[in-house]
Parts: sequence; C-alpha cells; structure tokens
Amino acid sequence: MAQYLPVLALLVLAGLFAGLSFVASKIFAPRNPTAEKLAPYECGITPGRDLPERFPVRFYLVAMLFVIFDIEIVFLYPWAVNYQELGLFGLVSVLIFSALVFESFVYLISKGALDWGPLQVSRRQDPMRSADRTTASTVRRVGQDGRTVTVLDAGVAAEEAGSGVAA
Amino acid sequence: MIALVAQDTQTVALPGPPVVWSLLWPFLILAVGGVLLVTVTSVVPVLRGRSFPAAFTCLTALASGLSLIPVWQRVDRLDLVGGTIGSGTEGPRSLVSGAYAVDGFTVFVTGVICVSVFLTALLLDGYLRREGLDGPEWYVLMLMSASGGVLLASANDLIVSFLGLEILSIAAYVMAALHLRRAESQEAGFKYFVLGALASAFFLYGIALVYGATGSTTLQGIFAAGPNAAGLDPRTDSSLILAGMALLLVGFAFKVSAVPFHFWAPDVYQGAPSPVVAFMASGVKVAGFAGLARIFLYAFQPYWADWRPAIAALAVLSTIVGGLLALAQRNVKRMLAYSSINHAGFMLLAIHAAASPDDGGQRGAEALLFYLLAYTVMVTGTFGVATIVGGRGDGRHDLDDYRGLSRSNPLLAGVMAILLFSQAGVPFTSGFFAKFRVIGALASDGSYALGGAAMLAAVISAVLYLRIVVSMFLIDNGEAHEADHEAVDAVAGGRAAPEAEGDTLVEASPEASVLTSVRAPAPTALLAVCLAAAVTLVLGLLPDLGGGILSDAASALLLAG
Repeated sequence: MAQYLPVLALLVLAGLFAGLSFVASKIFAPRNPTAEKLAPYECGITPGRDLPERFPVRFYLVAMLFVIFDIEIVFLYPWAVNYQELGLFGLVSVLIFSALVFESFVYLISKGALDWGPLQVSRRQDPMRSADRTTASTVRRVGQDGRTVTVLDAGVAAEEAGSGVAA
Repeated sequence: MIALVAQDTQTVALPGPPVVWSLLWPFLILAVGGVLLVTVTSVVPVLRGRSFPAAFTCLTALASGLSLIPVWQRVDRLDLVGGTIGSGTEGPRSLVSGAYAVDGFTVFVTGVICVSVFLTALLLDGYLRREGLDGPEWYVLMLMSASGGVLLASANDLIVSFLGLEILSIAAYVMAALHLRRAESQEAGFKYFVLGALASAFFLYGIALVYGATGSTTLQGIFAAGPNAAGLDPRTDSSLILAGMALLLVGFAFKVSAVPFHFWAPDVYQGAPSPVVAFMASGVKVAGFAGLARIFLYAFQPYWADWRPAIAALAVLSTIVGGLLALAQRNVKRMLAYSSINHAGFMLLAIHAAASPDDGGQRGAEALLFYLLAYTVMVTGTFGVATIVGGRGDGRHDLDDYRGLSRSNPLLAGVMAILLFSQAGVPFTSGFFAKFRVIGALASDGSYALGGAAMLAAVISAVLYLRIVVSMFLIDNGEAHEADHEAVDAVAGGRAAPEAEGDTLVEASPEASVLTSVRAPAPTALLAVCLAAAVTLVLGLLPDLGGGILSDAASALLLAG
C-alpha cells in the first residue's frame, strides 16, 4: 500500500486547496452586490434574448467523429511504441483496425456528417426540394384563367386587406 | 531517436498466433460482408436502394452457409477429438491461440444463424418497402450481430465470449430502435439496451470471478482447474467459482430470456420492428444458447452437479410461466414473446439433460441442437407472418386482426397454421420431434419429474397457439366475437384492451383486419414464410437430418469444447 501514499497526499492537498480557496474568497472578497452585477451575461454584455435551447444535431455527429479518431489513437499509440516487438502480426492487426475505423468515417461522410448547413443531403437527394419551386411556379391559380382583375375588384380587395390589418 | 536505437538492440519480437484462415471463413464472410455492405453503399449511393442490400445479405448468408461444408468435412473427425492445439489439419480444434474453437457444434450453430439471417433479410425487404424506410443499416447491423453470434458460439475463451456477446447485442439494441418514426420502437430499443447492459455487467463480473477462482479464462484452463484435475483441492475457491458461474448464468439467462430474467422480452418484442423481432428471437437467442451450452457443458463440466439444479429451476419456471402468461395476452407479438420464453425453457431442459454424465448427455446435446434448428425456422416464420399481417405502420398485432385470415389469404393462414402447430408440438412437424427429443433425453437421464413438467408446459402452451389458429380460421358473427372478447378479458383479469397503434381503421365487420398488405404481401416476405413452413414440415418428416450430423455435432460439443 505504500506506493499509493503519494496519491493519497495529492488527494488531500487538492481537497485542502479547493476548500481553502472557497473559504478565503468568502472572508477576504468585498461583497457589494447590485442588480446589474447579479444578472446573467454573455461575454460581458447583458443578454438581449433567451438562450437558444436547440442546436443542430450535427454537433453530435462531429462529436462522434472525434470519438472515432480518439479511439483510434488510443490503440495506435501503444502499437507505435511497441512496433518493433509486435512485428508483422501487429502491423496487419493495426491495418485491419484502421481500415475499420476509416470505414466508419466513410459511412459518416456519406450520411452527410460533414455537410455543414441546412438540409444539403435531402436537397441533393430530393428533386422536389429546390429553390426553383415556389408557390408561383407550382400552384396554379384556379378560376382566374382568362379573366382580368377589374379596378373595382382590386379596390375592394385592398380595402378588405386594410381592414384586416386594422382588426 | 537514440532511445529507439538503444531499444532496438534488445528487441524480442513477439510471435503472433498462427491463424488458420481456411477454418475461419464462415465467421469472416459474415463479418466482412457487413463491413463491405456499409462501405459499398456509402461510396456508391445508387446502391443504397432497397433491393441491393437485401440481395447482398441473402448471398452473404448463403456463402457463409456454403463455406461451412468444407469446414465440416475437415472438422468432423471424432477419432481426432482432443488433439493438441494447432497440430494437424483435421479434427475439432481451437485456433488463434486457443481463442476460437472450430468443431461440429460450432459449424452446426453457425449454419442455424445463417438460416436466421437469410430468412430475416427476406422479411426485412418487404417490411422496409412497406414502411417506406430505406438504408442498408438494417442489413449491416444484422450481419454484424450474426457475426457476433458466431463468435459467441465458437468462443473458446471467456473474453472472446464477452466480445461476441457485445457484438451480438449492441447491433441488436440498435436494430430494435431503428424504426425512427415509431415511439414504440424507440422504447423497445431503450429497454433492451438498459437491461442488456445490465446483463453484460453480470456476465463480465462472472468472468472476473471465474478467472479469480481458476486463474484462466480459456475454457480448457477452467476445465483443467476443476476438481477432476489431480493435485488441485476443489474446495479452496469453490465459493468464488460458484458465484462466478451464477453470474455468468444470470447474464446468459437475460440473453435467452429465461424466467425470472424475462421481463424485457414481451415489451421489446411488442415494440421492436417485427422482422427485427424475428432475428432477435431466432439468431440472437440461438447464439446465447450456444454460448451457454459451450461454457457450461465444457468449461464448467466438473461442477455440473452444482449448476444443474439452477438450470432445472430456470427451465421449469420458463416453460410454465411462459405458457401461462401467454394465455393472458391479446397482442399476438406479446403472445409469441411468451411462447419464445416457453421454448427457452425447453432448450434449458435439453442443456440440463446434456449435463448428465451417462447416456442422457449425448441425447440431451442432440436434442438441444435439433431444438435450436427447428425453433429458429419456426419462430422466424411465425414472426414473418406477424410482419405481413401487421400491415403498414406495423400496428395490427391484436388477436382480432387475425380474424378471417383464412378467407382473405388462405396461403398465409395455412403457413401460419403449420408454423403454430409446429410450435405447439403437433406430430409431423419439426416442433414435435424437438419436444420429443428433449423429453426423451430427460427420461433417459432419469429426470422424470422434469419431463412431466415439460409435457404439462407443452399442453399449456398448445392452448395459446390454438387460440391464434382458431382466430384465423373461425369466420365468426358478431355475437361470438363479443363472447370471445369477454372470455378473454376474464382470463386476462380485466386487462385493458391494447391501445390503438398506427393507422388502425377498425370497422365493425369481422374482416376489418383484411388489408391490402395481407391480400398481396411482399413476394420476398411470402417466400420467407413459405420456406420456413416447408423446412418445418421437412424436419418433421426427416427428423434425423438425413444422417449423423446431429450426433456428430453433439459429440463434438461434449468431448472437444
């Protein structure tokens, strides 16, 4: 158990430091709170709106990419250190492992993990989603074919629109 | 740099273990096939449609199954059993430094898993088309899971067993939750994951305790440290190894859903996509039983008197409780879940008999293998019919949805009837011989009480299958319908009617359940269920599999490990 003594000492020191810091700041720091000081802030600026609660799922995909390469390095580093001893068998094993890791990377890219921005995957796959398709180009006005809108009708319509806004 | 050069002078190259690739092909084809499928469909998006992954998966399962034939011919040499590791080219032996065993048992179980993958891929094809889902992920995960199952069945080392168990399970968790639009599927996946992770923890702790007690994780090492070996006091660490065996048994009992570790099964089977349930009930369960049989019948063989009562208790509870609780259900997928718990009990009884040191051992192991094959085929087919009847949205699984099936699709009803009769154990079907072999093995072992309990459970569970058959074939009028409702509600103890799922448009007529998907099911799904029914009948007429395959595979399990 003797070899664990430094760990124990460090644990005690860390606890003491954290505890003493809290106590010291309570004792020595001047406390003069005002409403402005207690308000939450973003980078020193008073927030103008509530924090957004939703953020893109792509952050998770990037996090998964990180995990993939993180795992890879966890295995590659010890292999690289012992490269001479492990020889050809180790090399082949690591190549198989790297191929599998790279494979998951290929899969993530094909799923659009690196296509940053709104909906590029579905736009690419789906011809029905396109900037060219607007209500003007896709919706046919029924009942107005061959009719011209008279000035009187237009005036009534404008009045109705105006009263709608007022209401 | 200097340090590197200095090290170089004292470098001792570690020899890699010899790998006999030719014996690993059945496993490698499944694993590499899965990786290849996800790669190809990622790089070539055109192939990401629905036909290619299904065809690829079927071909992979076929190729893996065919590659078993040369392996079987090399391995099936019982006169060479017990040969030293890595020597010679024939006979059962272990590969890769004793991590992976190849013997008749492994080959047989791998074949069963391939059958399960093949049938499920056919079912998935129709299912994905109907639900408007796409993506090769389903097939990739199934191939991965199957390769994990093969690894678990062939593991000759507890660490490799754990690896196989995790590959098998993690893919299955994801598959259960893969129908992203259905909340039930998500719920099923989550439940399966949480309870499966708990089971894995039990399993791993069991490995640790066994290692502590025996000083080895290989099955041979554990066997050699048993009380049979000379020079070792069996009582020194016996409590440690007993605890380890108990934890391993709990881990496996979760996987094969034996009572009292079965609570996840009905919920997961009800919520998960039906073709996935077909695979979970067949492939995953078969792999779990194979791992259980290999570890307990070989590594823990010296302690058989200790663990046998526990297996017997699990088995009897599973058969009786599974059969009884199934009667209280109205959801067919839940009924089938309890019926699979009931079947798990029978397979545990086969393991109980196989642990016998006398004549019952061989018969028990044969019964287990035959049961695994028959069960896989019939349960995949049954859930296949449930997939078809489930209709778009996969929500029509109430008993009433099967009403009038014989009129709307006589072929489907006939296939379902064959499969259900087989599960009930009616003669001239595979289920009869499966149950017959188990009870015969128990009798030759002298466990008459267990055999009697098994027969009682078979009678109880027959009622459940007959309820579905009656529902399919009885063209009723409204009064009988209502009466049946009341009777069932009385049985269920006032259990509320299952909540409506999906786009159910229930009408008053008896044929409300008749859907276009039932009238014209996907041809691939129909092929799968017809194949399953045909194999069930063939196994019922040729219960010896046309030769000594069963007995050879069973002997390999008992002798070689």
